[in-house]
Amino acid sequence: MSGQEIIKLERKANWVRRQTLEMCVRANTGFLASAFSSVEILVSLYYGGILRVDPENPLWPERDRFIMSKGHAISLYPILADQGFFPLHNLETFCQENCILGAIAENNIPGTEVVAGSLGHGLGLGSGMALAAKMNKEQYMTVVLLGDGECQEGSVWEAAMFAGHHQLNNLVAIVDRNFLGVTDFTENFLRLNPFAEKWQSFSWDATVIDGHSFPDILQALANFRSRKSEKPLVLIAQTTKGKGLSFMENIPLWHATSVSGKYISLAREELQQKENELNRGSDHENC
Amino acid sequence: MKIADISMRDAFFDALYDIARQDDRVMLLTGDFGAPSLDKFRTDLSRQYINAGVAEQNMVTIAAGLALSGKIVYIYSIAPFVTLRCFEQIKLDLCCMKLHVTAVGVGAGYSYSTSGPTHHATEDAAVMRILPGMTVYNPSDNIMVAAFAGMSYRDPGPKYIRLDREKFPLRYEEKHDFSDGLALLKRGKDMTIIASGMMVHQAFKVTEELLKHSIDAAIVDLYRLSPVNDNLLLQVMGKNKPVVTLAEDLVAGGIGSIVAEVMADNGCQSRLKRLGTENQYVFQYASRECLHSHLGLDVASITTGILRWLQ
Repeated sequence: MSGQEIIKLERKANWVRRQTLEMCVRANTGFLASAFSSVEILVSLYYGGILRVDPENPLWPERDRFIMSKGHAISLYPILADQGFFPLHNLETFCQENCILGAIAENNIPGTEVVAGSLGHGLGLGSGMALAAKMNKEQYMTVVLLGDGECQEGSVWEAAMFAGHHQLNNLVAIVDRNFLGVTDFTENFLRLNPFAEKWQSFSWDATVIDGHSFPDILQALANFRSRKSEKPLVLIAQTTKGKGLSFMENIPLWHATSVSGKYISLAREELQQKENELNRGSDHENC
Repeated sequence: MKIADISMRDAFFDALYDIARQDDRVMLLTGDFGAPSLDKFRTDLSRQYINAGVAEQNMVTIAAGLALSGKIVYIYSIAPFVTLRCFEQIKLDLCCMKLHVTAVGVGAGYSYSTSGPTHHATEDAAVMRILPGMTVYNPSDNIMVAAFAGMSYRDPGPKYIRLDREKFPLRYEEKHDFSDGLALLKRGKDMTIIASGMMVHQAFKVTEELLKHSIDAAIVDLYRLSPVNDNLLLQVMGKNKPVVTLAEDLVAGGIGSIVAEVMADNGCQSRLKRLGTENQYVFQYASRECLHSHLGLDVASITTGILRWLQ
């Protein structure tokens, strides 16, 4: 992928962050930090030529199934709107009366597959879909985005055991490994490491990547439709919770705190600054 | 073997086997729990059978994923494990998404009489019936059980079918239509006993005893616990006749609560006595009859209790 294409994705990621910030400011809700850690993963899936979806026909039988299992990842909304699953103006009423977009993406929203948000359901649901695809000889892929805190749920490992046993190599799990739960770092209160080894011991292929690097993410997913392995694949995408906002990064308190007061302008400024940098980079690429 | 001579689970899976042979969308997931009738399912329909292991929560989510992909799925285990252990999965993955998945639980009430509270199913029906969109069947004989296999296949939406471990005499004719949700099995002018599952059979013995005291009691079999057919229930209860509910369930939330709710909602003024398990877990390990004696649910205690209450 060319440098220009990477910058294009980075600009899209920044646009997603700005849209997500404005949604949260308007609705006075939190969960921005969790949403920001998975932006590059989502942008890669939807703009990096990974997922096959049809916004005109959200239930197209051959679509890839994407399950947002980690719950508060509302950065998916601007992406789905931008893709054409629903009008952009729906973002303006996020978490307000008569809206379709709640704090957690559920399956009443075009472009989503399941009711998610209670942690530990998505991988089992995805495993069922992947198994059905194999039984029916259908070609779609199933991708599940999990949080790392979510992987403290026992049901994740029940599903991991199932997918490993049934060799669901048409299933890809991506863990947004931002190392933070709600109140503390995962390694401080319920250790996940050695994380990749845990997945491997459940008969998965596991790859650790930089979850904010488009080249890393896209390379890890480059051949995901034609992998030779019989095992399901997990990408442990190392990320930073609150990525993109200096005052928010790696601070547990921001999990559920709304962005208000001086932080609103600070956040806008930082994202605008990023935009300017990317524009300069883009100009440079064009020269 | 005749249908009267086999267990409820075998009656169910024999019927489901015939359905699944005709429709390869039908899948059966078991939590490593068997039945004689499952052997042929596993052998002849191996692509439609999965042992999901001792992982009931995952069994529900896998079933949901399969149902979202066009399958008609049955999940099978011991009653408390296929309901209480995975309650949130049933709520979110089956009920919220209105999926065509049927949970089949064996061990209604005190079926597993020697295994203690882990295996007793006294809250499962109460808990399942409050879930929006969930249909709960509590059969009393094998004709009904076989019919529920077909009904659960034809009707989309989540269901829970709780089966007893015991064999009971048949109370219904072949081809009986069970869409009413309840049936008046015996007429009686003095009072009405509303029972469910195995207690329907206990009710017949109780009515014989009551007759010796010149009490003519009707018996209603409430076999669909949700949604309840309110209108028919009120109709068969009769006006101003004393009503007794009879079940092994905890009184709170179970059959007794169902009938009390219907009566309250409809301004029914009849006297109501709810018999079942009071607020307790039972740490007795013996025959079901022994447990009934301990709980006052044996025929003699029920009869005496009703007579005393009627006075």
